[in-house]
Amino acid sequence: MTSPDQTLAVITTFLGRADKSAADLSSATGLYGDGLELDSLEAAELSAMLEDEFGTDPFSSGDELPQTVGDILAFYEVPATA
Amino acid sequence: MSTQPAAHYDRVHEAWTLIMGEEFHYGYFADPATPLDEATAALTSEMLELAGIGEGDRVLDIGCGTGRQSCDLAEQLGARVLGITTSASGVAAASALARSRGVEARFEQRDGTANGLPDGAFDVVWALESSHLMRDRAGLLSESARVLAPEGRLVLCDIIRKREIPFLEVRDRRDDFAVLRAAFGDAHMEPLSVYASLLEELGMTVVEATDISVPTLPTFAAWRANVTAHSATLLGLLGEQGVADFVRSTHVLEEFWSDGTLGYGILAAVKSPL
Ligand SMILES: C[S@@+](CC[C@H](N)C(=O)[O-])C[C@H]1O[C@@H](n2cnc3c(N)ncnc32)[C@H](O)[C@@H]1O
Repeated sequence: MTSPDQTLAVITTFLGRADKSAADLSSATGLYGDGLELDSLEAAELSAMLEDEFGTDPFSSGDELPQTVGDILAFYEVPATA
Repeated sequence: MSTQPAAHYDRVHEAWTLIMGEEFHYGYFADPATPLDEATAALTSEMLELAGIGEGDRVLDIGCGTGRQSCDLAEQLGARVLGITTSASGVAAASALARSRGVEARFEQRDGTANGLPDGAFDVVWALESSHLMRDRAGLLSESARVLAPEGRLVLCDIIRKREIPFLEVRDRRDDFAVLRAAFGDAHMEPLSVYASLLEELGMTVVEATDISVPTLPTFAAWRANVTAHSATLLGLLGEQGVADFVRSTHVLEEFWSDGTLGYGILAAVKSPL
């Protein structure tokens, strides 16, 4: 299981590379539109960074695309084993 | 030192002049063998034909680059031109160009998606290959419609997206997309139909919306030929990686043009009479 801090660290690194501010980042921050304003390429890059780091990523898992930072955190917080 | 961005801009500007010629946009090739400078001029001519600019017309050039077209419109057609760009060095270069040519065109640093200009102040809004750099396309078009006088015309040409690109495809090809972003900036392409429907929603009448992907395709080969012809100078200006990335970007674009992902469109719309 990945801690929210580890996940947030990847998101923060990604935002730095993408020249976007990581200030005011919270679970409620939206990924697109009014939030971080990720376009599809940026979402693809974040998705690839998360996969490189953790082996899986919420964008390509086949379910709904994550909409908020909280959705990404929640994807990794689900315990891997019961 | 504060001169650094300007120095970078000068280097890129010089490199792009070698690759693209005096006009920094695609060419419209009646024939693939047409020389690039004729083809870039031909694209401008396509815009001119749609714009119907007359003596004394007030023209807003959105994303005026280094002011070449604004100066041409003022000098050759007697238009009263205001060129706007978000780039401070662009404004400086364009103002210097107008001075050196003795042309009365004005240049201001403004954002095309929130231009702050008065309502109804222009007869023609001209946007040559700049709209893809404005994410807020609805803002660009509504601001354009707002500053046009009744019966004023918007003419625009740009790179367009011709199909949905699914997320997983973007992810798979993210290196290609990143190469494009590195070479051309933070671009966002929309289909011609999106422009047309946004304009219709604003009450404008779209009188032309044409896909000109085929006549613009030879642009990439022409750019590469110039890279080869000026390779030593370009290596000094852009570095080995910069040159390689540029060449790769032309191949990526050519592939997208050929497989129907991206292309080029030209469009004109008229604001209704009062
Ligand atoms: C590819 S150049 C085209 C220049 C010129 N129209 C030509 O064809 O040679 C794009 C131009 O759009 C400008 N630009 C980008 N975003 C803009 C914005 N939001 N508002 C106004 N201009 C913008 C850039 O600074 C640049 O001058």
